[in-house]
Amino acid sequence: MQRLGGPALAALGILGLLSVFLILPIATVFVSAFSDARGQITLAHFAVFFQQPLMLESFYNSLYVALSASVAAALIAVPLAYLTVRFQFRGALLIQTLGVLPLIMPPFVGAVALQLIFGRSGSVNLILNDWFGVTLPLMEGLNGVIFVEALHYFPFILMNLTVSLRNIDGAMEEAALNLGARGWRLFIRIIFPLAMPGFVAGMALVFVKVFDDLGTPLVLGATNMLAPQAYLRITQVGMDDPMGYVISVMMIVFSIFAMWLSVRVLKGRDYSTLQKGGNALQQRQLSKGESILAYGWIGLIMLLVLSPHLGVLLLSFASVWSFAPLPDGYTLAHYATVFEQSPGMLSNTLLYCGLAAGIDVLLGTSIAYLILRTKLVARHWLDWIASAALAIPGLVLAIGYLRTFRGVLVPGTDVLFTATWFLIMIAYAIRRLPYALRSCMAALQQVHHSLEEAAASMGATRLRTVRRVMIPLMAGGMLAGFVTSFITAAVELSATMMLVTKESQAPMSYGIYLYMQSTSGRGPGAALGVLAIVAVALGTYASHWLVSRHQRLTQIHRPQG
Amino acid sequence: MKKVSVECRDVSLSYGTTDVLKNINLTITPGEFFALLGPSGSGKSTLLRLIAGFNSLKTGQLLVDGVDISQVPAWQRDIGMVFQNYALWPHMTVWDNVAFGLVERRVARAALKQRVQDVLELVGLTDYAQRYPGQLSGGQQQRVALARTVIIEPKVLLLDEPLSNLDKNLRTQMRQELLALQRRLGITTIFVTHDQEEAMTTADRMAVLHHGVVQQIGTPVDLFDTPINRFVAEFVGSMNKLNATVQEILADHLVVNFLDGMACTIAKTAVSPSLLNALRVGASVLVCARPHQVSLQHNTQSSQGTSQVSSLVLPGTVVAKEFMGQQTRYFVLSNSQQVMIDQTHQLGETPYAVNAQVMISLPISNIKILDT
Amino acid sequence: MKIRTCWYAALLAALTSLNLSAQTVTVITSFPKELTAAYKTAFEKTHPSITLEILNKNTVAGMAYLRELPVGQRPEVFWVSAPDAFEILAREKLLDSVVDLKNPKVPEKIGAFPVNDPQGFYLGQALAGYGIMYNTRYLKANKLGTPTEWQDLLAPAWFGHVGITAPSRSGTMHLTVETILQSDGWETGWNTLLRMSGNSAAVTERSFGVPDGVSNGQFGAGPVIDFFGLSAKYSGFPVEFIYPVQTAIVPANIGLISGAKNTAAGKQFIAFTLSQPGQEILLQPKVSRLPVLPYAELTGKVPAQYPDPQALAARSTVTFDNEKSSARYEIVLKLFDQTITFRLKELQAATKAIFEAERKLKGVTAGPKAEMLAQARALAYTPLVDQKQINDPAFLKIFSGNKKDPEVNKAISQFESDWNTRSKERYEQARELATKAAQ
Repeated sequence: MQRLGGPALAALGILGLLSVFLILPIATVFVSAFSDARGQITLAHFAVFFQQPLMLESFYNSLYVALSASVAAALIAVPLAYLTVRFQFRGALLIQTLGVLPLIMPPFVGAVALQLIFGRSGSVNLILNDWFGVTLPLMEGLNGVIFVEALHYFPFILMNLTVSLRNIDGAMEEAALNLGARGWRLFIRIIFPLAMPGFVAGMALVFVKVFDDLGTPLVLGATNMLAPQAYLRITQVGMDDPMGYVISVMMIVFSIFAMWLSVRVLKGRDYSTLQKGGNALQQRQLSKGESILAYGWIGLIMLLVLSPHLGVLLLSFASVWSFAPLPDGYTLAHYATVFEQSPGMLSNTLLYCGLAAGIDVLLGTSIAYLILRTKLVARHWLDWIASAALAIPGLVLAIGYLRTFRGVLVPGTDVLFTATWFLIMIAYAIRRLPYALRSCMAALQQVHHSLEEAAASMGATRLRTVRRVMIPLMAGGMLAGFVTSFITAAVELSATMMLVTKESQAPMSYGIYLYMQSTSGRGPGAALGVLAIVAVALGTYASHWLVSRHQRLTQIHRPQG
Repeated sequence: MKKVSVECRDVSLSYGTTDVLKNINLTITPGEFFALLGPSGSGKSTLLRLIAGFNSLKTGQLLVDGVDISQVPAWQRDIGMVFQNYALWPHMTVWDNVAFGLVERRVARAALKQRVQDVLELVGLTDYAQRYPGQLSGGQQQRVALARTVIIEPKVLLLDEPLSNLDKNLRTQMRQELLALQRRLGITTIFVTHDQEEAMTTADRMAVLHHGVVQQIGTPVDLFDTPINRFVAEFVGSMNKLNATVQEILADHLVVNFLDGMACTIAKTAVSPSLLNALRVGASVLVCARPHQVSLQHNTQSSQGTSQVSSLVLPGTVVAKEFMGQQTRYFVLSNSQQVMIDQTHQLGETPYAVNAQVMISLPISNIKILDT
Repeated sequence: MKIRTCWYAALLAALTSLNLSAQTVTVITSFPKELTAAYKTAFEKTHPSITLEILNKNTVAGMAYLRELPVGQRPEVFWVSAPDAFEILAREKLLDSVVDLKNPKVPEKIGAFPVNDPQGFYLGQALAGYGIMYNTRYLKANKLGTPTEWQDLLAPAWFGHVGITAPSRSGTMHLTVETILQSDGWETGWNTLLRMSGNSAAVTERSFGVPDGVSNGQFGAGPVIDFFGLSAKYSGFPVEFIYPVQTAIVPANIGLISGAKNTAAGKQFIAFTLSQPGQEILLQPKVSRLPVLPYAELTGKVPAQYPDPQALAARSTVTFDNEKSSARYEIVLKLFDQTITFRLKELQAATKAIFEAERKLKGVTAGPKAEMLAQARALAYTPLVDQKQINDPAFLKIFSGNKKDPEVNKAISQFESDWNTRSKERYEQARELATKAAQ
């Protein structure tokens, strides 16, 4: 009775895309893990996994590192969040900046820099050893991974927790004060439980990201963890090695489990109690002593957070830096090398990430439109499938691609699909889609549908309404989504490592990794890293500016009620 | 439990350069149900929070049971407060919410259990002990908030707009329940409201605040019958205000002139005290009367107004009317001034239509003279 | 409208970058960027119609990658340090004959080792020696003596200061391991390797991890291929490189992959690398490799103090047996990984305890404590595959089976798991014994 309208076609198209580039590869991974050489279903590979002490150790280590890093990140973030929200504190802006700095650094670059500063013969330990005769094994083995990851990911907890704390109605606290609770008891019984949702959301995110990360453990040489093991098996033993797929399946299952667990814990606990006209938690003054402590803590964290940035900067200008707190001398030669040898990497990054971000915005807007503005059956599936990409480690997606598209040629040529950069770009797009989708959904939710209805009542077709009313009003959110996609894709390494087949294909992230492979390449690698950081920082700033500007503009358009 | 008095002496409070409370002086007697009434921004909530300990006063003293508590922190004051939006903790059950204060005071388990049960019974929520606040209705939430506060047997009970979040019918029911509870427990209670009906129906005495200054303190009847100034007159109940000028000042009386030349003689006792000293010939004043004190008749003879010794009679036209159930309020335009008249509604009758010509009759003894 | 033109531009850029040019030579190599960049620049200059594509992979990954690709889709050139990798590829019929690309000026042998493959499937392109690289500042700060032989790194003073990598991740490390095994014999050789690993701070992920670590002062010393050490030194880092007597000079080879896309262009590249200009590139300080072309052909280009491969080969005590090496390739890799790489912590702990006991029992050679110490040493430093087993052809056969066969896979996994578990037990036992002996 109903001919397949535009929206239905769009939905099918998107579903098709997601099927080919998300569902199929992951299914391939699962199938490979569960089938033997003859193609029959077997649990034998999993049996082998659980029998190999190395695999069990890697599994345990990955869990241990992810958990420890989450806890460490929480330890850093909780006092900072509390300071920001609770006290009249001029350092609040400082904390906000702290919360952004780690995210603009590609983690593996940071790892190298931290090695230089905190490693066994790094600046800090050299000085400590000279003065006090002690050394801090901060970067030894798994500790190094935990340290780097915690420093990199704590902003996720900081941001979520701050929002949660800000959403607590001040009356909650006053009621408790009124009944005799204060200080620590007040915090433990009332404030922290109410802020729990933000905290749990942040911790879960950190856990999953650390669990799935390939670049940092690899660069630090901690190969007895799941992600590096999967990578090593597939690249060194071959695409047919079943163990690589078993590990991939374990990683997916566990990531999904962690996310499900956090959703479960948060079920029914939306404690945003702040009502219109209500006050947030009362801000207090810091006493002199407390002030010193607070600034001290922030100062320490700031030093830690900035150390990779400083380290990379120094390394990019260092002529020789060996067994000394600071480099021997400084030079601009590394930047020259980068601009000579690798301008292609910059353009590759721009190309892949730009296209990927563009696809994300296109898909994100379409899915948001289909979900919020149509009544298509099962449209929420699009949301779920797209968001499922969050739980898929980049490495595993890449493995899936290599497996699914093995031997497939680009139609009309004799070039292998897997040898082109197309898959790299698609991997970026799929993995970043959940974030872009959230941005677009939020943007569209702020456009009151009466605005579109007004256009329709004046004779505009659906497509024209979309183009002339909806998209301009969503523009800010879409742009923010574009920038977020772009900058996170620009520092991605896990999938990139698996999918890059030629040096000329390499984007900046892989280029940095390549440079880091030789002694004289560390300088140029760091220089490239600095360029990447600058690009990402500019992008982040641009995104914030765009969103706030857009909010200012569209406030006028928003009808009341 | 001992009933205590609450006294504010010269209390002032500012936020930055803005004075929010100016020289507040009031005394609440032990066991009294006292209302702080005023529009938003009047400082009533600020004063309440000051008593609770969430603000600190700039100057003055705050005495509870004769002791100055202005330096005592909020969590030590033993003053219970019920918040406007109840502030029930969503992550705790009703039981835990109510038991909170006792837990903080380290009450023994058995005693705690007993007291919580008793209080829940008091507010009629025994069956809801294991529910979460999110599962309760507005009225039930309010009772939990109350229970939570009274269980610690505070010296003073503070209620911040306790009924404003309830719908009309519930409000009427709850205000009597509140009052009954208070009488039973005997706690000195201060409650804040912007609704004069709420204050008038429940308070023993009330204070009207405006821009941080206490306008008048007294029983509801006092404030209604003898408002001290224009603000109180308008805020507590409705008031008609007719412009007039002072024509003559005599020993015990005042002659005022309405704009069209009609004069009337009014006893000086009807003049608001603050105005008495400022009276001059030619000064503008307001001639005021409550709507129910004015009566209405048909103007069959198209007569002009007269000023008799006992009442003022003016002609006018009905320009609008509001049917309020038990009475009808007529808006009558007389000599370009609007007069509100409330007439008790007789079953089935609608005596005056819009545009009807009527005569307004205002007994002089009902008139008050207030400042403009 | 602006957005649309942006999209079109991007699409156009994308299509053009798909690189539909026919004359591309793809090279799989484990060599660092300095070397490949230099060759790329030079080659493309003299051969303007050909573009050189570099695929950077470590030896093992490169081989695995190659095996995955179907005929007609493969890269043209395979260019890594380890000769045994080429042996394996040749056996798997993945290489084409390159006899006609030989440069006649290149000598036949280096020491006793043939420079080119007798079967003609790969050619020596450079020469590499294996030695010890050390950081002078680190040594000074930690009061360590200058190492000259492998044995020097086994001393107690060196505990925690050595950096090594695993043969499974580094062709050059594999060659170093085989050099030691072949010169000392299987069991003694493993003894040396285990003790050296016990002294190490970490097993790095790639072979560059060792020279990198030594260069920036993370490790005091480590086994590296010569050009890593030399290029770091010439780049100004406070490092030195020495060739122990127990070293092998072996060729780093280049081969033509069969079933490639542009075989003809590939041949041109191989010929270039063997020509005089191609060999000169090896002498650049950032590259620092030993050419196969004798110095007589490169007069004026050889820097002062540059090592002489022929002299070194003559001095060396090792005759490298390629056949032997490739026959037991898998076993050596897996044994090293399971007993050293993945069990490093336990091995380190055992070593530490043994040193402590040795210190306490200085001079004592008899008695129960001395026996415990000897036992501890035996437990920690004896390989789990003994001389007899490694010479057993049946044993070797197991590891060369088809890995896709679940039976083969299972058998191999069984051994791996076994080695892993047993070595852990033994190290822990060794540690306990040594601790007791020290009391």
